[in-house]
Amino acid sequence: MGSPAEKRIAFLFIAPAILLVAIFRIFPLGWGFVLSFFDSDGMTKFNFIGFGNYVAIAHDSAFRDSLENTLILIATLPVWVALPMTLAILIHQGVPGGKFFRAVYFFPAVLSSVIIGSIFNMVLRFDGSLNAMLKAIGLIPVDWLGSGGTALFVLFSVQLWSTFGMSLLIFLAGLSTVPKELTEAARLDGAKPLQIWWHVIIPVLRPIIEFVGVVTTIGALTSMFGLIYVLTAGGPGTSTALPEFLIWLEQGKMNQPGYAAAISMLLFAVMAGLAYLQIRIMSRNTNL
Amino acid sequence: MAITGKREKTLLRVASIPMALLALSCLYPIYFAINNALKTDKNYILNRFSVVTDPTFNNFVNAWNRSHLGDYFWNSLVCTAGAVTLLLIVSSLAGFAFAMLRFPYRKLLFMVILASLMIPVQVVLVPFYRTIIALDLVNTRIGLIISYTAFFLPFCVYLMTAFYSGLPRELVEAARMDGAKLIQIWWHVMLPLGKPALITLGILNTLYCWNDVLISLLVLQKNRTLMVGIAALKGEYTTNIPLLMAGIVIAAAPIVIIYIVFQRRIVNGIATGAVKG
Repeated sequence: MGSPAEKRIAFLFIAPAILLVAIFRIFPLGWGFVLSFFDSDGMTKFNFIGFGNYVAIAHDSAFRDSLENTLILIATLPVWVALPMTLAILIHQGVPGGKFFRAVYFFPAVLSSVIIGSIFNMVLRFDGSLNAMLKAIGLIPVDWLGSGGTALFVLFSVQLWSTFGMSLLIFLAGLSTVPKELTEAARLDGAKPLQIWWHVIIPVLRPIIEFVGVVTTIGALTSMFGLIYVLTAGGPGTSTALPEFLIWLEQGKMNQPGYAAAISMLLFAVMAGLAYLQIRIMSRNTNL
Repeated sequence: MAITGKREKTLLRVASIPMALLALSCLYPIYFAINNALKTDKNYILNRFSVVTDPTFNNFVNAWNRSHLGDYFWNSLVCTAGAVTLLLIVSSLAGFAFAMLRFPYRKLLFMVILASLMIPVQVVLVPFYRTIIALDLVNTRIGLIISYTAFFLPFCVYLMTAFYSGLPRELVEAARMDGAKLIQIWWHVMLPLGKPALITLGILNTLYCWNDVLISLLVLQKNRTLMVGIAALKGEYTTNIPLLMAGIVIAAAPIVIIYIVFQRRIVNGIATGAVKG
């Protein structure tokens, strides 16, 4: 253990970080936890109602929508992982134009979800460019954002399109650790390219696949707000709402922060599990 | 790849066709925005798909002045710069302490900061908003700067700690007994040595802060940031698409420039989170 001076300075150095995290994240989490058991208007009324808010959530069709959408999203997770992985392997194997693809694929990921959402809104809205094009070639226009089924599909596709470049980079970083001898030995043994992928490259990538899976799920649960906000506003109805957006809607109503807090706690439970996985992967790399 | 079979070459060549189409789709939105931002509203309705022939810059002028994007731009700039500066200072101080100094509860406190990754802003939306109000930080730039710092901090602390733990401990050995010297070491040794990691974090967090909507929607309700302004513009002027597109070009321009200039650093920074860097 260090000298007293060292300890004092060390605490001084970590104090800003600890304080910021404690005041704006940990303390509000505790507050939200308590609030979730109250029927409250946030100002004067504080009635303890136990699990009342949670029971109400179970009967809330908007929450059911958001839960269903989350499950649909999680069911499509293999696509979110396999697409960037396939592209990354192709680039790593030296596809013509690979360097260009890598740079361009990542481009949507640096743009704000508000920008991407607004542009896609203009293209996909009922009187938007895509329908104008469909009409021009004699097809029937589709209300992409106005009907529940297509709106959800559009929302997920746009999110996938705007984030696959990020996952692709992570896969490329992982691929650079695949020993060349392995793939070359397999090739000399007469393995076909796809066999090499399946039996040699993908097993080595397993930790990366796990990581991308976790990060993608976290991203889907916590970074789609901006996109939902401008692309569909959760609609039609609440058919494209995800829990994070529902919390926003509920807090906007402001008359029942306890209810919003209860939904938040459920999201927290899921996030805690996912973040645990992520932290385990990350702390493998610090060797503190 | 060293040896590439014939079969593999054909496979790669075939694969490059859909990959090129995907690449085009990634560039299309920016083309769509720029092309339509240069049209008049009437021209947009009449010729949606055509490439602009007589470009007008009126949309940019109107978006900047009448739609207040100029004010919002300045606001975003101040908040982003402030938050990034604060993030770098706070995380390099903490990273230095966690990686190089010896003190009780070191691991526990590090885990507390990492564990706060579990608490994204959505999870604490209501109480966080109340906290901001209680501290009288609502509608202030400093409030937004502090909020950004609180929510983007854990990864920064993680990366700085990882970076500094790769440096030789001897750098601080001599100063161990003297607190004043440790502060000097942070300033004269740790900050300069941490430059690669600090630059990466600086760029990534510039993107995060500049692009944020949710936190600024909560903290700044009167004086907007650029992204909230764009979202509002989309709501207000649904018919004037060229104006909105001009706003989008203005909002995206700094990010596009940063991306083009710092592409390699961004790419490496993203990869470090996953693979030992």
